[in-house]
Amino acid sequence: MTSWATENSTSGTVFQAQRFGDFPTMKEALIARKIDATFMIAPLAMKLVADGVPVKIVYLGHRDGSALTVAKDSSVREFKDLAGKRVAIPSRFSNQHLLMKRMLKERGMAPDAIELVEMAPPDMASALAARSIEGYIVGEPHNAKAEIGGYGRILHFMKDLWPDFISCVLVVRQEIIDQHRPLVQELVQGIADSGAWLDDPEASLDHRKRAAEVVGKLFYNQDPKLLEHVLLNADRVSYSRLVPPKDTFEEIMDLAVETGVIARRMRFEEYCDTSFSRAMREPRPLIAFPPPPVSAAK
Amino acid sequence: MIAPVVVLVLAVLVGVWATRFSQRAQALLLPSCTALALLAAWHMYSVATEYELRSTQADGAVETRLIRIFPTPWDTLPAMVELASDGRLARYAMASLFRVLSGFALAAFIGIPLGLWAGWRRSVFLAINPLVQGLRPISPLAWIPIAVLSFGIQDEAAIFIIFLGAFFPIVTGTMTAVQSIPLVYVRSAQNFGLSGFELFRRVVFPAALPQIVTSLRIALGVGWLVVVAAEMNAVNSGLGFLVIDARNMGNRYDLVVAAMIAIGLIGIGLDWTVRRLERLDEVRWGFRNQQ
Repeated sequence: MTSWATENSTSGTVFQAQRFGDFPTMKEALIARKIDATFMIAPLAMKLVADGVPVKIVYLGHRDGSALTVAKDSSVREFKDLAGKRVAIPSRFSNQHLLMKRMLKERGMAPDAIELVEMAPPDMASALAARSIEGYIVGEPHNAKAEIGGYGRILHFMKDLWPDFISCVLVVRQEIIDQHRPLVQELVQGIADSGAWLDDPEASLDHRKRAAEVVGKLFYNQDPKLLEHVLLNADRVSYSRLVPPKDTFEEIMDLAVETGVIARRMRFEEYCDTSFSRAMREPRPLIAFPPPPVSAAK
Repeated sequence: MIAPVVVLVLAVLVGVWATRFSQRAQALLLPSCTALALLAAWHMYSVATEYELRSTQADGAVETRLIRIFPTPWDTLPAMVELASDGRLARYAMASLFRVLSGFALAAFIGIPLGLWAGWRRSVFLAINPLVQGLRPISPLAWIPIAVLSFGIQDEAAIFIIFLGAFFPIVTGTMTAVQSIPLVYVRSAQNFGLSGFELFRRVVFPAALPQIVTSLRIALGVGWLVVVAAEMNAVNSGLGFLVIDARNMGNRYDLVVAAMIAIGLIGIGLDWTVRRLERLDEVRWGFRNQQ
């Protein structure tokens, strides 16, 4: 997305991408002003604001993109069967956690009917293989990993549990919002356009395939097969409708306060700045991908 | 910014002045002064890295906020009180101590006999020493995936990590202890007709004991040192877990630092306890000077 925004910049802006292995390090870099913007799980971003860190949610990274995975030979057939079992979540400041709480309520189960444990996403597939957990709920490609590995089975995609599920959001430091509005605007537009390119109704499959190849090689050292598996299934992840929706965020906030993840209820405007997504033009896939690796390989 | 500078200067002055007092008073005053100076320096660092945030409001008014990146000692104090009063500190300290002592006991239980054997028998030494020296420098952090794969997410995984941290100093220390027993001890014992297990029990083991206890002390220190690594992924209690967990929260670095301080204080307590053990007569038997 950053390389897209860079390639399409009419003013020659270069957005530099930096990969982090975990959320805490990224959060620290953001707090210490070493990075200006980042994608992070939505409730964590809200918690940062609640704790007095001057940042705002400006845009979404994607919709859906998570799944609930169980062991291939597990007796669990539906959500209710997970009662009394141990399920891993990426963090209690993740929407996956809040979704589990939401589902428990929806299915009329006790709030602690499922034992939720926090686990680093890269460890989840192996923990499932080692049978120390019954299942896990996390963003891709960690579900595909267990599926391709032959020991995991997708119990539910997000679209079945919480349609248009929000996981990662674009968070920008307040200083940058205040002092570099055009820059943030350009980034948001770039993300929107690259999303439109990935979801292009005419050539989505082809585009996603090319994206998987480039991203796998350039950024994540991931097996392109794994990314392809995720990206080529439109049910799994979507890159459209990325304007932060107030009603969904209010629901997330309610769940977060209810679960004790965030101590005080905040107004939408306190943690969200929709001025950029409102000022944006209609997203459209502009140029060809992939960009030359020079600007992207950081 | 004035207060910490004053504290720093005062701490240094009192420290210099304290050198005139008795040894006992110095033992109390000097470390307190150093600690105070360090706290002042920490406070200054936190304040120096603050920055001003100017935001223009919708009505055109400019709002200025001072943003602190790193918590000061004062910010950490309420976090400590929070941990102590909601019972987490005691509960987590007990959980960590249980794991560290279990891992340490296991390491001693296997490590001391193995070290004695390898120290006494050259062939055993040749067989295991290169392996021990090869495994020793691997950080317990690197073992985390293996621990989780083999033991899952429970106490055993954490205890395994701590066991690894404590095991190698004990084996190496015990081996060296036996090997460095003066030959004259063994020869004279043999002249008195001791051999085999008796020789080992009555001469070799007691002679090696002081060094073994020293290696136990080091091993317990290492065991406590790796508690954060051990509790990083596998469990959801303990002071190490608290560091990782507080780090995962939004901006609760006050809790992180509070947990670090608790780990340090308990570390001092553990070391002090083992030092007492070293002074026991049975342990001092060896070739240490008797007072």
